[in-house]
Formats: sequence, C-alpha cells, structure tokens
Amino acid sequence: MTAASLELVPPPRKGFFAALAPGGVKVLFALLAVGIAFLFAFPVLWLVLTSLRPPSGVYFVHRGTEFTFHNYAEALAQPNMLRAFFNSFAISTLATVLSLGVTVTSGYMLSRFRGPVPNAWFSVIYVLRCVPYISWVLPLFFVTRQMGIFDTYWGLLLPHVAVHICFFSWIMKGFFDGIDPSMEYAALIDGCTRWGAFFRVALPSAVPGLTALAILCWLYTWNEFLFALMLTSHKTPILTVVMAQFVHELGMEWHLMSATALMALVPALIVTVFGQKYVIRGLRV
Amino acid sequence: MAEVVLKGVGKCYGPVVAVRDFNLAIADQEFVALVGPSGCGKSTTLRMVAGLEEITSGVVAIGGRVVNDLPPKDRDIAMVFQNYALYQHMSVRDNLAFGLRNRKVPESEIAAQILRAAKMLGIEPLLERHPRQLSGGQQQRVALGRCLVRNPKVFLFDEPLSNLDAQLRSQMRLELKELRKRVPTTSIYVTHDQVEAMTLGERIVVMKDGLVQQVGSPLDLYRRPANRFVAGFIGSPAMNFIDARVAAAGDDVMIATEGLSLRLTDKVAATLRKHAGNAVVMGVRPQHVMLDGAGGGNLLRFQATLSTSEQLGDQQLLDARLGGTLLRVSGIDAALKLADGTMLTLAMAPENMHFFDAVSGAALG
Repeated sequence: MTAASLELVPPPRKGFFAALAPGGVKVLFALLAVGIAFLFAFPVLWLVLTSLRPPSGVYFVHRGTEFTFHNYAEALAQPNMLRAFFNSFAISTLATVLSLGVTVTSGYMLSRFRGPVPNAWFSVIYVLRCVPYISWVLPLFFVTRQMGIFDTYWGLLLPHVAVHICFFSWIMKGFFDGIDPSMEYAALIDGCTRWGAFFRVALPSAVPGLTALAILCWLYTWNEFLFALMLTSHKTPILTVVMAQFVHELGMEWHLMSATALMALVPALIVTVFGQKYVIRGLRV
Repeated sequence: MAEVVLKGVGKCYGPVVAVRDFNLAIADQEFVALVGPSGCGKSTTLRMVAGLEEITSGVVAIGGRVVNDLPPKDRDIAMVFQNYALYQHMSVRDNLAFGLRNRKVPESEIAAQILRAAKMLGIEPLLERHPRQLSGGQQQRVALGRCLVRNPKVFLFDEPLSNLDAQLRSQMRLELKELRKRVPTTSIYVTHDQVEAMTLGERIVVMKDGLVQQVGSPLDLYRRPANRFVAGFIGSPAMNFIDARVAAAGDDVMIATEGLSLRLTDKVAATLRKHAGNAVVMGVRPQHVMLDGAGGGNLLRFQATLSTSEQLGDQQLLDARLGGTLLRVSGIDAALKLADGTMLTLAMAPENMHFFDAVSGAALG
C-alpha cells in the first residue's frame, strides 16, 4: 500500500468575485470604502468652500477662484455671536456634568438593585423615552415660563438634563452590567460601605463608559436646536439658534452661516478626535 | 481565629427557597468544604456568612458574636471569589493594601504585611503590575494575598479554582494545602468539585436543593454515604447503582436483580432482613468490583457481558452489562486484552456494597 498523498490542491475559486485577480477583492472594497467616506465628507467639504467664498460666489462654489477669510470676521462680529459661543459651551458642559452625576447613580441602581424603587424608576424612564422628543417642547415652553426660568440657563439646562437622564441611564446600566459585581463584594468585605464600593471600585472601572457618555452628552447638547429655539430668546443666545438666524426675510447669508457652522464644528471635532475610542466602546454596549 | 456557628439558617428569594435549615458548627482553625451541584445553595450559604446576602431565618455567629445584622466589613472575614474580583484599576500592591488602608493601618505595617504575603505566595515580582497583566493563576494568588494580609478571623472561598485549567487547578490545590499549614485560619470552602472537597476539606458538607445531605470527614462520606445522592456525588468514577429486590428464604437473605442473584452474608444480611420483599438500590463503587476475583472466600461472584472498555494507559475502565444496567468497573490491568461482548466473571466484597431505600434514597442499615 502506498502512503496517502499529502499534496494539497487549492480548491477552485468560486462565486461572484472569482473573475478578479486574487488581490482584486481587497481593492474593490477599498474603493467602496473611499466612496462611502467621500459621500459623508462631501457636505463638509462644500461647507468649507462656501465659507471661503465672497457673498456673490456662494451659489457658484464649484466655479471661480476668489477666496476670502472675511466671512469669519463678519460672522464673529455679529451681535450675540461670541455670547452664543460661550452660552452653548457653558450649557453643554453644565448639562454634561449634571446629567452624568444623576445618570451614573441611576444606571448603577438599575444594574445592581432589584425591588419596587428601581422597577418604578425603570418604568418612568422607559415611558418618558417612548414620548417623541418634539412633543416635549411645547409643554416645556409653558412650564419654564410659569417657573420664570424661560430664556435663562436653568430653563434650557433642566430640560436637557431630564432628556439625558432618560436616554443615558440605559447606556450606563449596560456599562455596569459589564462590570463584574464581585469586585464590589470584595470591596465590601475589605472595609467599604455600599457607597464606598460604588465610588472607589465600581466608578473607576466605569470610566471608559463614563467618558463615552460625557462626549455623547456634550456633543448632543452642543448640536441641539429644537429646545434651544423654543426655550431661549435674546437674553440667552444659543449658537445653533443664532446660526439659523442667518436665514431671514431679507435673504439667506450662506457664507456667514457656513463660516459660523465651521467654527462651531471645531470644538466638536476636538472632542470627537480625542474621545473617539471611548465613544466606539460606548456605542458597542 | 474563631469558630463559626450556623443555626437553622435559611434563605428565601420570594417564594423560592435557596437554603433550608442549615446547621453547622465549625471549630476554630477547621477547614470545612461545602460541596454540591450548582444551585444547591452552597454559595448562598457562604454569602450569608460573608454578609453579602441577607439571612432570612436563623443565626450566624462568628467568634461567639451574632453577625446577622453586621455589614460585611465589620465581620472580620476575607473572601476569595471564583473570578478573582481584583480591583482592575489598581496595581497588585494597592489591591493588597486596599483593605488595610480602609482600616487605617499605618503604611509601614501595610508594607510589611504585603511583603510577608507576597513572599508566601511568590508574587513579589508582580507587585507593581496591574491585574489584567497577570495570568489566571497569578490573579488567584493575588486574591489569596489580599486575604492573607488582613489576618481575618475566617477565610471564605467561593469556587476559587473553577476558572483555572485542570493542571493549574491541581497545582493550586496543593499550594492551598501548603498555605493552610502555615496559616491555619478557620475556613469555609465552596466547590462543586468533589475532588477539591475531598482533598482540602477536613470536614465536608454535601448539599442538594438547599438541604444538607451529610456532614462528615472525607473518608466518612466515602465509606458511609448517608444517602444515594452523597454516594453518587462523592468518588470518581461515580458509584454504580443497581435496582434490586431483597428476598428472605429461611436463614438466607438474597438480593436479586435481572441477571444477578446473590446470597448475602451475615452482617449485611442482618441489616437487610427487615427490608425483605422491598425494592432497594444496591450501590457499589467501580473500584470495588474485581475481575475474576480469585482470592477471598467471601467474595460474591456474578457474570456480566463486556459492553465497552476505555483505555486510560495506567488502567482500563470497563462497562459491563448486567441485565438492564451498565456496571462500571475500574482499576483493570491496562495490558489485559478484552474483546467487547466477552462474558466476564466479576466479584465484589459484601462489605463494599451499599444499600439504599428505592424511594427515599436513604442508606439502609
């Protein structure tokens, strides 16, 4: 009897891509990826070009060779613009800090405790989450007026925090679900109280998730338009609202709007670039 | 150092009863193993001693003090968890120091304690690393170290070796035994592995469905199991069980099943006589069934057909068909060549046979 042949013959290539050269599939997917990336990047590119054209050139962005930085100076010189930048920044940061403070404890409770209180809380945020975002606006308008906080920091902060708590408690619960509770048991035995175990063991382990939430929360508030439009007025200008005011009865100042939008993009870009890996981890939950 | 007493301890989750009327007094410096299949309540019992679960009924006392309402931190215990439960965001050194710092121990003494524990466990080179940079065995050593530095009254182990691979597990088992000689603290060790329980425990508590089945020394449980469950759980390979019937004819007591009828001798016969006519379960360990037991006049011999044999290298395991049941035989000479279907003459000593009530499973005698 002869020894069994060990020569391996690669099976013939089959399927849709068989006709391509061996590396061809890779090239094809790379091209596809570039195409999709371009699809998303194109509006931003257009925005950059528009912001650099003089007012007469905004409808002919693809033609002409005249470029100027004057739009940026003019946009910044608008009344309220600098205050709007500051207000948006302050509201986003405060909303992030306040809502995370609540979200962390609420997510932890939902993840670790059973009983009537967590169940009731779970139901409340579940129901509130189901309410369409837009239907909150009108009641909030009346409520903030009644409370005398319309067009103030609190008048915008509190609604934002309320929405964040409903949306992000769930994500935070997911993060704590992923952290082994026996670490906290060990801390209890090692001399911690329940709060001590939470602050000194569970919370430090949740930092990646917390960072992701902070970034999402901040970006969300920074970009938010509807609440800002309805719940603020002249006293508390907000960037997204001020930006929209370049469209008015006398015409549309696209060049100024683009310049403002681009400037508004910068902080968001910085936050995203530095926090990208946390956000990806956060969204995976 | 302290004794631990559990008196009528029970745990319910709503209508579900997890542990029922658990009574045990653990002496100072004793090492007790709680063993049983998953969901038998052994971990719940341990967690009640630790204070991680509320006690529904009964009393737990550590060192003469009732601890029912004390938080875990005030019970002066230390616990090792199955998944190590090291603080991931701290270095090994800080992990070890955590409990001592919480108790406001001076830093110089903390450093000394850490060094002592690290030397004992051979983890000195790992002190500056983070838990995620360690292997499973190293992590479990650190978890042990975290207990050692505290000098607690009681050590609690919750399946500490379950996450390790088989080789490492047997090595760590030995190390635990060595460690035990140097630090003879009262310990409760929960495991589902009867080998761990047998090798480590000075006393073993076998549990099932929230109820204690038997408490005794390893040899006690092996030689005199209180019921069919304990008999089947302790020992490897597991005990053979054969449904049989007791018959009394004059002075003789016979035990009969399909393909087997044995006349029982004096001592066993005396205990079984009162069960004459009843269905019983006969149990015999694979190690206690012999092939062609030539020697020994009091051996009970019977015939069975070889169904399969498993070669282990140092010995063979046989599965012999006896009527409707398969009888496992171990310790057969590895060199012996046996064809499937061979008729075997098997033998067993009467003193190695166990009898259980067919309904309740309780040991007869």
